[in-house]
Amino acid sequence: MNDPYSVLGVAPSASDEEVKRAYRDLARKYHPDNYHDNPLADLASEKMKEINEAYDTITKSREQGGGASRGYSYGYGGGAYQSQSAGQGQRANSQYIQIRNLINANNLAQAEAMLNAIGTHDAEWYYLMGSVCWRKGWMDQAGQYFRTAATMDPSNVEYRNAVQYMNQGGQAYRPASGGMDMMGGDAACNMCQNLICADCCCEMMGGNLIPCIGCR
Amino acid sequence: MYGYVRPVKDELKVAEFDRFQSVYCGLCHELARRYGFFSRFLVNYDFTFLAMLLAERGEGRTCPRRCAAHPLRRRSCLESSASLAMAADMSVILGWWKLADGAADSAGMARLGCKAACAALRGAYKKAAAARPAFAASVEEQLEALHALEQAECPSVDEAADKFALILRAVAAEEKGPRGRILGELLYHLGRIIYILDAVDDLAEDTAAGRYNPLCYRFSVSDGKLSDEDARTLRAGLQLSRNALAGAFELLESGDYAGILSNTIYLGLPVAAQAVFAGVWKANAKIHRKRS
Repeated sequence: MNDPYSVLGVAPSASDEEVKRAYRDLARKYHPDNYHDNPLADLASEKMKEINEAYDTITKSREQGGGASRGYSYGYGGGAYQSQSAGQGQRANSQYIQIRNLINANNLAQAEAMLNAIGTHDAEWYYLMGSVCWRKGWMDQAGQYFRTAATMDPSNVEYRNAVQYMNQGGQAYRPASGGMDMMGGDAACNMCQNLICADCCCEMMGGNLIPCIGCR
Repeated sequence: MYGYVRPVKDELKVAEFDRFQSVYCGLCHELARRYGFFSRFLVNYDFTFLAMLLAERGEGRTCPRRCAAHPLRRRSCLESSASLAMAADMSVILGWWKLADGAADSAGMARLGCKAACAALRGAYKKAAAARPAFAASVEEQLEALHALEQAECPSVDEAADKFALILRAVAAEEKGPRGRILGELLYHLGRIIYILDAVDDLAEDTAAGRYNPLCYRFSVSDGKLSDEDARTLRAGLQLSRNALAGAFELLESGDYAGILSNTIYLGLPVAAQAVFAGVWKANAKIHRKRS
């Protein structure tokens, strides 16, 4: 394994606090939520694993830290937009399940071919077509398909979340030094700030709205 | 080529700005060295970004050089390297096609200008295409596909942008392994963003001249402008592409230029998008040219 300190980009003489800060910044950067349904997700998760291991090694070797917990656990499930793994129970259509598996395996050409071979287009069809487009990077069409799916079946949470996720421009890492979005205005920024604010309030009361940002 | 991909100068550190300038000058010198004086006019910010992106760690040696644009004071200039050579070759190949496209699309003096420039660069193009046959072939293939989509009045922004994005992705075709995958993904989304910003930027001109613009078919455009809602939809899509681009960038070992590249991605692109959507990009670019 690489030197855990160089993985986190800190000197071996760094204080516990500095190590933790470096770890948090890296974990924020490579968090799976930033790479969901992304063709590079495997590389990001390798990176995340490396960072987690480095942090664990350092905290263990420093022992006296009182068992500082990482705060970031690997494996996600709290993203705004739940991807393919969820909602399979909704429709016991084996063909759709097969297509979802193909999409998850990044076999987009075959998934698209199977979708094109289906004659009747219901909400799930539009949703899966949107997922294929999303993975290809065809964001405009993905949005159109997701919106159609959500209009056809307004009760489906998965479809609604996808539309909302698209409309707000997704979720991404921003460098600590700042950064702007492509949407003009700062709607997305305000939303994050509100969330973080709300999280701080919750934490004061002993709760935790965003487990990832507000790690102990 | 288009110039959307540039750092926000005010937010760069002084050392970073100097390094950026040395890459820009280095690319200009590389063009002259490989393709003669005239090809220098092809130097631009997009390919400077590309040269920095493709640079391997520790390539950054500089030396002071004079040139026609700066005859009095020597400027610090990046020495010839593999990534500069690559960026120069690609500047010539894409620049030549853009001029050829301009000659076919425009009329009057502009057409004559494009034709003359095309003729002047013909030798350079041949040389560059011989140096990068795979890239030149994929540029030709994708531009042909794009042309067919234009003829068919394709209403899908994504499909039209895809062709241009594939051209940029082909830049990374020589890179193997995870680095190749990361660069391919990064460049694909960069290509999308450039294509879509360009379509927004040209929307008014294209509608007036009756030229194809995918936005005219995708959205209902009146007076050469998108409605606020359509612009919002389009910008959310651009944001998603920028996120994908940034996600790939963070996985890249970007070495010497990490700060400048990060500035370009997190600030430069949004600032360009802001100006394009506000309809002031072209005017701003003119002012910028006068100043520099």
